[in-house]
Amino acid sequence: MPRSRRKPAFRREEGLTAADIGPAVLKRPPGDSQYRLPLAEASPPASSLPARSGNSDCLWFAVYLPSLPLDAMPSSDRPRVLVEERQGIHRVLLADTGALEAGVMPGQSASAALALMPDIELLGRSLPAEREALERLAGWLERFSSSVSLAGPDMIVLEIARSLRLFGGLRTLRRQIATGLDAQGYSTGLAITPTPLSAIWLARDGRRACIRNTANLLPALRRLPLALLDWPASVTAALEGMGIRTAGACLRLPREGFAKRFGRCRLRELDQALGRLPDPRRAWRAPERFVADYEMTGEQSDRELLLVICKSLLEEHERFLLLRQQGTQQIRFEFFHLRAPASSLKVGAAEPERSAHHWFGLLSIRFEQLTLPEPVIAVRLQSGEGRALRRQSASLALGKEPGRTLNYSMRQLAERLAARLGSGSIHGVHTVAEHRPQYAWRTADVLTGIVLLPVEAVSCRPSRPLWMLPDPEPLTMREGCPWHEGPLQFVSGPERIETGWWDDDGISRDYYRARNPRGRRLWVFRVRERRQADAGHWYLHGYFG
Amino acid sequence: MSRDAPTLDAVLENPRVWRGQSGRQTANGLPTGYPALDRCLSGGGWPDAALIEILTDAYGIGELELLMPALAALCTPPLSPDEEPGWIAWIAPPFQPYPPALRDCGVDLERLLIVRPRDADEVLWSAEQALSSGTCAAVLLWPERFDDQVSRRLQLAAGKGLSRAFAFRPVSAQREPSAAALRLRLIPEADGTELAVVKNRGGRPAVFKRFFQSGRASPESP
Repeated sequence: MPRSRRKPAFRREEGLTAADIGPAVLKRPPGDSQYRLPLAEASPPASSLPARSGNSDCLWFAVYLPSLPLDAMPSSDRPRVLVEERQGIHRVLLADTGALEAGVMPGQSASAALALMPDIELLGRSLPAEREALERLAGWLERFSSSVSLAGPDMIVLEIARSLRLFGGLRTLRRQIATGLDAQGYSTGLAITPTPLSAIWLARDGRRACIRNTANLLPALRRLPLALLDWPASVTAALEGMGIRTAGACLRLPREGFAKRFGRCRLRELDQALGRLPDPRRAWRAPERFVADYEMTGEQSDRELLLVICKSLLEEHERFLLLRQQGTQQIRFEFFHLRAPASSLKVGAAEPERSAHHWFGLLSIRFEQLTLPEPVIAVRLQSGEGRALRRQSASLALGKEPGRTLNYSMRQLAERLAARLGSGSIHGVHTVAEHRPQYAWRTADVLTGIVLLPVEAVSCRPSRPLWMLPDPEPLTMREGCPWHEGPLQFVSGPERIETGWWDDDGISRDYYRARNPRGRRLWVFRVRERRQADAGHWYLHGYFG
Repeated sequence: MSRDAPTLDAVLENPRVWRGQSGRQTANGLPTGYPALDRCLSGGGWPDAALIEILTDAYGIGELELLMPALAALCTPPLSPDEEPGWIAWIAPPFQPYPPALRDCGVDLERLLIVRPRDADEVLWSAEQALSSGTCAAVLLWPERFDDQVSRRLQLAAGKGLSRAFAFRPVSAQREPSAAALRLRLIPEADGTELAVVKNRGGRPAVFKRFFQSGRASPESP
């Protein structure tokens, strides 16, 4: 394949796919230990710098965000200018296209910019917002590569060699990333090279470089001005004093002398950029839990609008979870007010879920009931612990009529009910092997979906009433006989139920089935324990419904 | 206004005209477990996809016992494995349904969902959700607020989810109109509970004296 060394570098390899590229190993004949920086590719590097064949099948994509301080700010319909205070004077740091067209230049004083364009929006720089934007971008870039790393406040590098096949080749991948970044409103410098440092430098240069072979790195780096290397100003100034203005000129200097005068790390950086030394990068990891804020320009009390904001946050949440193939069982919204503590809203799901549509359905049920004490200035969405999604396959029962039309599943029904009524007001039940009637059952949480092992409890003989009172109701005594809408008539009994010393709620009761004069069937008991204050008293404990 | 006599087809299209046979043809009810009652009901049991009202003023007179055989039947696993038995939702029960007793009656406790809403509107909302979801085979509810419109909504929801709603209402509600397919009235008498079929779509009203006697059902006593 013919390879020119001219731009546009990208076009030149459009026919190539990942499979076409053989390992491009640097040829390094063993030679003199008294080495110098190579004048050209052919010049032999030292044997102490072993050839690293592993490095050559890497491909690093650098994303440089020159106007990140401005892009991280909330968008506006007016031209925006980012100003920074330097020595007491507010100077323009960055200006968007609208402002640039009006003649606003970076470096101008803020008053000059205002004189040129009175309706300009002056913004102060916010480092946390920049960091947040950078991390959000890194999170977005994680869909293209498993190793994304932050290389400075305005630079992200990702390794893409292993993603090429999946995304249909270098060109498609590059276009996807470029259009994605553009759609998110970031102006970028992009570069693709086999080493991360050279990619960073070339991206900062602004040329859309695309180099796939380590051998082609040197000519591309040679022309780079020293300012792009991000070296300390003293080093750059000293080199420029020596008449050295490009990286190529640096490379021509004797290695030992260069290392002695400017530091070993400078030499190491040059070697790493050329692929002679390994350059491991620490992969950035998205936080385990999703947290996102939406700040409003002013106080807002329109509930419809708040719901729209929540929906956009949920969509972001879904994208976050999609990357990790996870779902979550709980999310929390916080609505911040100016003068009141934040109102929070928790929404739970029965199973790990990530779909924004699903969460929005649950949220809107809860949101109806939320009273906001004040207008809202910001909304925060915080996600619970991420869990692996469980998916069930649909049955392949063809040509069979479903018995019941499932509009939504049991799980969804339980979620909807819990969302509106609160999770405490919905439960299942199960029995416990226990002789005391009030302890013979327990509530089961339907939402967490804990499957309880069936307890083979002894079957209750004689039978128990279908209705149980939460607390036994004392019965009055008249004419020496327990009274419930009239004197009681005993049907069967007594059934003696005793003890429970192990949990300090011991009982000693005689239970009877009884009928009152109105034909109601009751389950009553008399307290036997002499030591108890209510010994001999009668209580109603249930109805045979 | 046309002076011509309306055709028979035009008359039959009028929604106010009810044809006696239509109910019998379609209904295929769930056996109640009480043969005498089954014989009286049009589909041979509890109507499917319908609202059923049980009018009673007192608890402990057999109002749950009436439903237990049907609820137990709903919990038995169906023949095909991919068809799940439905859930049974209890919405705003007046007391605690006692799980050991329910289990003894043959009800699968794992299919039980007990919902305790905070107000009358939420009872109806929950019932409507449970009925229309299609996951509940039966929904038992004890509403505080109930009127004709509510009964229509519940009837529609039951039809949508092919479920059955059992609404427990006071006896005084008998005078109020309702869209329920079946209305039963339970009145405790000194010698047992009287069960009256007050409204029976596609069937005839009936009265069973001493349907439940001294704590034990007497299924064959008409």
